[in-house]
Order: sequence, then structure tokens, then C-alpha cells
Amino acid sequence: MAFIETLSTGYGNWNPLFWTFAFVIALILGWIIWRSGESSYKRDTEQVKPYLSGNPEPEKGEVHIRAGNMYWGFTEALKGYYDILVPLHNGILTDYILWFLGVMAVMLIIVAGVF
Amino acid sequence: MKISDSFKRSLWVFHFNSGSCNGCDIEIVGTLMPRYDPERFGIKLVGSPRHADVLLVTGPVVHAMADRLRRVYEQMPEPKVVISVGTCSQSGGVFFDSYNLDGPVSDIIPVDIYIPGCAPRPEAIIDGVVKAIAKLERLKGGEKHE
Repeated sequence: MAFIETLSTGYGNWNPLFWTFAFVIALILGWIIWRSGESSYKRDTEQVKPYLSGNPEPEKGEVHIRAGNMYWGFTEALKGYYDILVPLHNGILTDYILWFLGVMAVMLIIVAGVF
Repeated sequence: MKISDSFKRSLWVFHFNSGSCNGCDIEIVGTLMPRYDPERFGIKLVGSPRHADVLLVTGPVVHAMADRLRRVYEQMPEPKVVISVGTCSQSGGVFFDSYNLDGPVSDIIPVDIYIPGCAPRPEAIIDGVVKAIAKLERLKGGEKHE
């Protein structure tokens, strides 16, 4: 019956019977609290939804605060700059190559004086 | 009148303004002041319909508030009582038949008690709340909601 003996580590004691007893007491307490709750509410109705001043509950994704919100002031202050730059980043590789060639051509004209 | 369980546990009221001019709302605030002090009987305003026994509605219910009123009513636990405060909430009052109304309140949700007046005096509001207690007693006693 070694498995029910108390283990003393020098820093504390561990007894599986005591732990099981504490777990059962916690379960009973939880059950008593759950039983004292209001049981007459209607499931799958507005009664189980949060009160948001009478407004419908938005989708979870709509109320999620993204990392971008952390530097909202920065992007707002540089709005004019971002309004031009963001549409240019369209993700189309051929557009990027076109920009690269265009900028390179201009640089060659200015720096190297090709013509 | 028998003192009911709901009264012992305190009658909690949720106030909903559906587009009122604030006249009735000021009278409701006046009702809660120390002169009448309904909180000594446990009657007080709460911040969520989830905690309320009574829904106190003022205003004629404008378009934007109709859905919200319906949702707030549905979020209240049973048994519940609706009190319609002021002439506007009962007929539209000076806004009767106006293009921007969905109301009056009884067109949106079932109303149990009407407190007429523009605006009703605090004594009238307290009388309405006493009637709400009597109604809740009957509902708790097994009477079906009309």
C-alpha cells in the first residue's frame, strides 16, 4: 500500500488520499453553487447573450483588437503617405518588377547619365 | 397586499429610453431621490436587463430604438413586468402618427402597466411600481403572461 502513503519531500507533504478527498469536496461545492443558479432561463435566446445597450452581439472577429491598433496614431498622422503607398503594395509580382525596372531606368539616367 | 418573494428580494428596475424628451426620465430620477427614497424597499435601477424584474420604458419608440427595445425585453429573465411611463410611450403623445415612430411601446412589446402623464409625477410612478409588484406576485403564483 505504498501508493497511499504520505510523501515528505522536506519542502512539503503529498498524500493521494488527501488530494482525492479535497477534489471530491471541491466538486461538491461546485455542484452546490451550480444548483443554486437560476434554471428557468431559456437557452438559445437573447437571455444567454451579453447586454450591449440593446445592440446585437457582433461577430468575435469584428471586436478583436489587432496589433495594428497599437500604432493607430502613427498611421493616422502619416495618412497622406500611407494612402499613396499602401495601394502600390498590391502583391502582384509583375507590378513589382515593373516598378523595379522603372526606378532602375530613372536611376541610370540620373546617376550614370546613360543618355 | 401580501409581501411577495420578489419584493423581499428587492424589485430591480431597468430604465429604457426609447426616444423620450427626457421629461419622464427626469421624473424617474426625481422618484429615486431621498424625498421618496424607494431604495429603502429595495426598489432600485440596475444597469442590465439581465438583472431586472421590471422594464420601465419612456418615449414613443423611434425607428432606431424598436429593435433595441425588443432585444432588451427578450434579455430579461422571467417573470417580468413592463411599465410604460408617460403619454408618449402610450400613444406617441405629441409625436402621434409621426413618420419616424415604430411605437407606441405596446406595438413592440407587451405592456402590463400604463402610467399616463406628461410627465407623470413621482407619486404616479410609485403607484405603477406597486401595481407591478402585485402583477409579479400573480405571475410568480402561476398566472400566465398576457
